Amino acid sequence: MATTTYLSNLSALTVNSVSLVDQCTGIVFTQLREALDKTTLADTGRTYTGGLYNNECTMTLFQSYAASETYQTLASVVGSETTVVATVVEGAVTKVFTLTGCYLESMPVINGALGELSTVDLTFTGGALSVS
Amino acid sequence: MKYIINSVKVGTVGDEFKPAQGINIQALLDGGFIVEESTDKPKKSPTIKKEPKE
Repeated sequence: MATTTYLSNLSALTVNSVSLVDQCTGIVFTQLREALDKTTLADTGRTYTGGLYNNECTMTLFQSYAASETYQTLASVVGSETTVVATVVEGAVTKVFTLTGCYLESMPVINGALGELSTVDLTFTGGALSVS
Repeated sequence: MKYIINSVKVGTVGDEFKPAQGINIQALLDGGFIVEESTDKPKKSPTIKKEPKE
């Protein structure tokens, strides 16, 4: 049974030092360490050990071509490393998740359909995750 | 060379921007979020000596 519950409101989100919290509708930070199979004939089932970290951050942002907004922030970041910082607050507890040196491989430049607000889904991979 | 904040999305406009580790400076410059400010001191103009009195 859950002893605490958390309303997933981000208090801050920056990508490459630019605040995009006012465009973000969803974000997932994943701490991932690759599983290396170390099973031997002496085992009766698969066993694993931790390999390289391969952290990931995915987010959904409203698309905007206005100055200082989504497109202008990210267009020059595609194909390079950057830093994503997300801050969450739960009561008196503040957690700052920083993914340093993550790579943005692609960004949809147009993603539109009739009668809906345009959004872009982004995936930042790799980098070092720190929590403070 | 130092960088000055040019957008409220980055911080207070006019303040110095000190990039954290992993920040893509060129992307911020390309987007106009920050601007470069040279810290080179301007050269002094040559002083003109007055003509000596005869």
